[in-house]
Amino acid sequence: MTIKARYISLWLLLALASTLSLVLGAGTSGIGDAFAVLAGQGNEEARFMVTELRLPRLLIGLVSGLALGVSGALLQTLTRNPLAEPGMLGVSAGSAFAVALAILMGASTATLTTLVAQTGALAGCVLVLAATRIGGVGQDPVRLVLAGATLTGLLLSLTSLLMLIDQRAADEIRFWVTGSIAGKRWDQLTATLPSMALATALVLWVVRPLASLALGEKVASGLGHRPDVIRLMVILAVALLVGGATALAGPLVFVGLVVPFAARALGGADIRKTLWFCLPIGPTVIVAADTLSRLMVKPSELPLGVITALIGAPVLMVIVRSRRIPTL
Amino acid sequence: MLYHRFRHSGNSVLRYLLAVLAVLASSWAGAQDTRTIHTAYGDISVSGKPERIVTLYEGALDAAIALGRKPLGAVVTRGGKSTAEYIQPLAGDISIVGTPAEYNLEAIVGLNPDIILASSQLNKDQYRLLSQIAPTIVPDAAPFTADTWKQETRLFAAALGLSEAGESVIRKVEERIREVAAVVDATLSPEQRQASLVRWMPQGPLIMSTGLFSATLLEAAGFRMDDSGSVKAGRPHSNPLSLENLQLIDKHWLFLATLNADGQEALTAARRSPAFERLQASQENRVITVNGQLWTSASGPIAAEAILDELHTVLTSGQLQP
Repeated sequence: MTIKARYISLWLLLALASTLSLVLGAGTSGIGDAFAVLAGQGNEEARFMVTELRLPRLLIGLVSGLALGVSGALLQTLTRNPLAEPGMLGVSAGSAFAVALAILMGASTATLTTLVAQTGALAGCVLVLAATRIGGVGQDPVRLVLAGATLTGLLLSLTSLLMLIDQRAADEIRFWVTGSIAGKRWDQLTATLPSMALATALVLWVVRPLASLALGEKVASGLGHRPDVIRLMVILAVALLVGGATALAGPLVFVGLVVPFAARALGGADIRKTLWFCLPIGPTVIVAADTLSRLMVKPSELPLGVITALIGAPVLMVIVRSRRIPTL
Repeated sequence: MLYHRFRHSGNSVLRYLLAVLAVLASSWAGAQDTRTIHTAYGDISVSGKPERIVTLYEGALDAAIALGRKPLGAVVTRGGKSTAEYIQPLAGDISIVGTPAEYNLEAIVGLNPDIILASSQLNKDQYRLLSQIAPTIVPDAAPFTADTWKQETRLFAAALGLSEAGESVIRKVEERIREVAAVVDATLSPEQRQASLVRWMPQGPLIMSTGLFSATLLEAAGFRMDDSGSVKAGRPHSNPLSLENLQLIDKHWLFLATLNADGQEALTAARRSPAFERLQASQENRVITVNGQLWTSASGPIAAEAILDELHTVLTSGQLQP
């Protein structure tokens, strides 16, 4: 299969996953009824199910999948480390801690949550970049991940501490920290859209300089780019994307790992190609995982974060166990 | 210290006399009143009327206070920072010694209890530790049946040497149930008595077991509680329901709680979900918001009266049309 054919089939796969996510669910309403709704007919019950319950989930899944996939690819290129992933490096955990703090303080508006999540993600990113400057950590992919795991552990225990302070907020935090896109509201989605648009603009602007930075700082400087500015822009974009996704879906780990991994395997290691491939793969992973989460324990649902972890952990093992971890 | 002094003095006569005295004293107390209490972890003898009481279970705190005692220590209500609001004025300035699942053993030791009243869910390891502090009463009543609270109240009453008071407390509640049942009979036709009890959580609604304390009271008062078969045996509630299956909670009446004291907050949270607004019970204004601490965590005679009072108010106020 040529790369182009692969790319097109990935988008077809996303279309398939999206359709399935609209017609399959934990509810009793039949698949046939749901298809009828998609065809513009169907009974009122099924229409509600599809348009009010499943459509927002689908859209949130698409947005957070895009954000996590792209931010994973950016972070991996920036740190030259195929294991660098927002979830594992503590960026998501930083964002989650910030949101938990906000929930504890009584914040309930979607706009504020998004902003807080992005600030937390930014702090996480800065810490990651600082860690890569520590001797030895930046060069060794696994050591950077270990540093990230330490940071994640620390932030998670701080989050648990917050939950001990207020049991009532704890329920909300616990649900949110596990990761889920069920029962979210439209305003939560729209609250993230401006920053997602800003992040997209940043990514479009920075992707060429970043590709040259991947060839080495000297090459980038020689081409007239300023490495520090590039890094700053990438980090801002990652923080906006991860923070937005975390505000929507909670701290989902491994998605930022699995998606660029698949993208590189299918499309090649150049960041420009990887990013294009991440676009359909990220949403497909989230949307498929979310659909699965609804089908496994009817009439309840599994948290989305559980499914993504189940998918992601084996992929991490494969990458780490492969004889040589390629440096990017 | 005392023991050391005796040993070094070598005064065996004094030791013998003391031992005899101790035996005499205990047999005298025993003759006065020694009872064998059948608990989940075997028979325990208790004598006299234990004064220093620590309760590790909301139902035990409730029963002890209903019996006229004032426990020294208690656990917090589920999701709360202190005892449940309905019992706070009666419990007064009580020491908090843990949560429903975790106890602060040092705090319990510090209260120097004569007796510890625990929940039937207390596990063996915890029991082993606690019973070294004081006789620990663990009910062996099957959880989540209509009679659970009565059996537990009887057991706690027997352990406190207040069996008669226990019976009269239970009779009083049964009397109140009959009163409320008469009101239900008078106001609701048999088709209007289907009800579900739900705790609204961030991850989705939990259908509470029909064997849950407040549900058994509703049933006794004439409502027909329905959990749509979603609650596994021995569990207090279902797993969080998918919003796609909200019709499972849509009975004629919907009793809605969160662990927030304020039931109104539960309704606000639920109303944010369009799936909730579609429910028949919601559209026809038959959602009754209730205090989750009282309705989904508490048990015991005082809780029973409080729940029945709330129910009575709802039925007679006319704010809700059947």
